[in-house]
Amino acid sequence: MAGGGKLVEVSDVSKVYPTTDGDVLALDRVSFDVRAGEFLSIVGPSGCGKSTLAMLIAGLYPVTAGAISVDGTVVARPQTSLGIVFQNPVLLAWRKAVDNVLLQVEMRGLDPRPHRERALRLLASVGLEGFEHRYPHELSGGMRQRVSLCRALIHDPPLLLMDEPFGALDALTRDQMTLDIQRIWGRGQKTVLFITHSITEAVFLSDRIIVMTPRPGRIDTVLEVDLPRPRRLAVREDTRFAGLTRAIRDRFMAHGVLRDLDQEAE
Amino acid sequence: MWWRRRSAPAVTVIGAIVLWEAVVGGFRLPEYLLPAPSGVLAALAAEWRYLGLHTAVTVYEILWGFLLSILIGVPLAMIIVYSPLLERAFYPLLVASQSVPKIAIGPLLIFWAGLGMFPKILVAFLLAFFPIVIDTVVGLRSVEPEMLHLARSMGAPERRIFLKIRLPNAFPNIFAGLKVAVTLAVVGAIVGEFIQADRGLGYALLQANAMLNTRLSFAAILILAAIGVVLFAIVDVIERFLIPWHASHRTEMAAGTL
Repeated sequence: MAGGGKLVEVSDVSKVYPTTDGDVLALDRVSFDVRAGEFLSIVGPSGCGKSTLAMLIAGLYPVTAGAISVDGTVVARPQTSLGIVFQNPVLLAWRKAVDNVLLQVEMRGLDPRPHRERALRLLASVGLEGFEHRYPHELSGGMRQRVSLCRALIHDPPLLLMDEPFGALDALTRDQMTLDIQRIWGRGQKTVLFITHSITEAVFLSDRIIVMTPRPGRIDTVLEVDLPRPRRLAVREDTRFAGLTRAIRDRFMAHGVLRDLDQEAE
Repeated sequence: MWWRRRSAPAVTVIGAIVLWEAVVGGFRLPEYLLPAPSGVLAALAAEWRYLGLHTAVTVYEILWGFLLSILIGVPLAMIIVYSPLLERAFYPLLVASQSVPKIAIGPLLIFWAGLGMFPKILVAFLLAFFPIVIDTVVGLRSVEPEMLHLARSMGAPERRIFLKIRLPNAFPNIFAGLKVAVTLAVVGAIVGEFIQADRGLGYALLQANAMLNTRLSFAAILILAAIGVVLFAIVDVIERFLIPWHASHRTEMAAGTL
C-alpha cells in the first residue's frame, strides 16, 4: 500500500440508535479519511459516538446514512482484513494465551499449526515470553490485553482498530503499552485508528487527532501532531506536547465537557 | 491442615449416627417408629439381594431419564437461542409443562405409556430436562458481545462460532443444570414407581411401609440417598475434567501471577 493514500473514507456518516425513549442520534454527518500508514486518534467524551464509529468502520453495525469505504470498497458486511482490540481483552477462559491468539486463525477456517510459531514470536515481542501457555485467569490485566493485541496482529492486517484499549489498565501499564503500540505501528506498514478519551495518549501516539463533540458526535477539530518519532515518554514534558494537549483540552472546555476551577461555581 | 478440612464432614455424619443410635437406645423407641442405625445396617446386610435387584431397576430408570433429558434438553435450548420465533412458540409450553405437578399426570402417563419401566423413565425425564434447558439457554446467551463482534470480524460462520465459542462458554451453566437434573431424575423415577410399579426401590419402599418394616424402608431410603450422591459426584468429576478452567474449580490454583 502506498503511503499517504486513503485507506478508510468516512463520508457524511450518521448513526441513529433506536431506544425505548425514542431515537438517539449518536453520530451526525461525520466525514474524514484515514491515510494509509498513519496513526489516527479519535478523542472525545463518553457517549460521543467514537466507539460506534469504530464499529461502523469494522462493518459490525450498519450506518444510518452516508457511506464508509475501506481500501476502495464500500463497507456492507463485517470486515475481515483488520484487527480489533477492545477495552476488555475478551479472551476465551478455556484457551491458553497462545491458543487465544490463534483463535483469529481458527475462526477463519485455517489450520492453526503453521501459525503457532508466529503467535509465540508475537507474544514474546510484547513481553509475554514464558506466559504463552498460561490461561487468562493466570495473567494480569495488562498481560491479557497484550494477548488480545497479539490476536489482532497474528493475521498481519493492514488496519488496526483500537477502541480504548488501555481503558481498564493502571497508569504504569498504560505507559508501557503506549510504547509497545508505537513500536508495533512503527515496525510494520500498519494503519492504526485509535479511539480514546485520554488526550495525552492521543497526542503521544498520533500523526493526526480528530476531536469529537459531545452527543450527537460531530467532528470538532482535526489536529496534526508533528512531534518527531520515535517518541520517548519524556516528550510529554515538551512544550509542543503541552501546547497540543492544551489545544484539545480547550475544545473540551468550549463544549462544557471539562470545567476548570474558575468556571466551576455558578 | 488438609485432614481437618477432609475429616470435617465425616465427623458430623458419624456424630449424627452415634446420636441417633443413642436416642433410639436411650428412649427405647419401638423399632416400627424409628429403627436404630445398627438395625438399618442389619436390614441392608440381610436383604442385599432383594434391595440390589430393585436398586438396579431404579438406577436404570434414572439413567435413561437423565440421558433423555440431556438429549432433548440441550438441542431444545439451541433452538430457543437461535430462533426467536420457535422460542415464542415453545417457551410458554415449556413453562406450562413445569407448572403441572408431575405426580398429578403420573396416572395418565401410566395409562398412556403402559406398565413397565418406560413411564418411570418418562417422569424422570420430565422432571430433569427443565433445568437443563433453562441453564443451557443462559449459557449459550452469555457470550460477551465483543467476543461475537471479534468472531464476525474473523469471518467465522455461525456454526464455527457455536462450536468454538458459544458451546464451550455454556459448559459451566450446562453442568449446573445437569447437577440439578440428576437429583431430580432420582425423584422422578421414585415418583413414577410410587404411582404404579412391581419393582424398583419406590416399590420396595411402599412394600416395606405397608408391612411396617421400618428397617427395610430406611435401608431403601439410604440406598436412594446414596444413588443421588454418587450420580451427583460423577457429574461433578466429569465437570472438573471437562472445564478445569472454570472459576469454581480454581481454589487451589494461584491466580494473577506477575
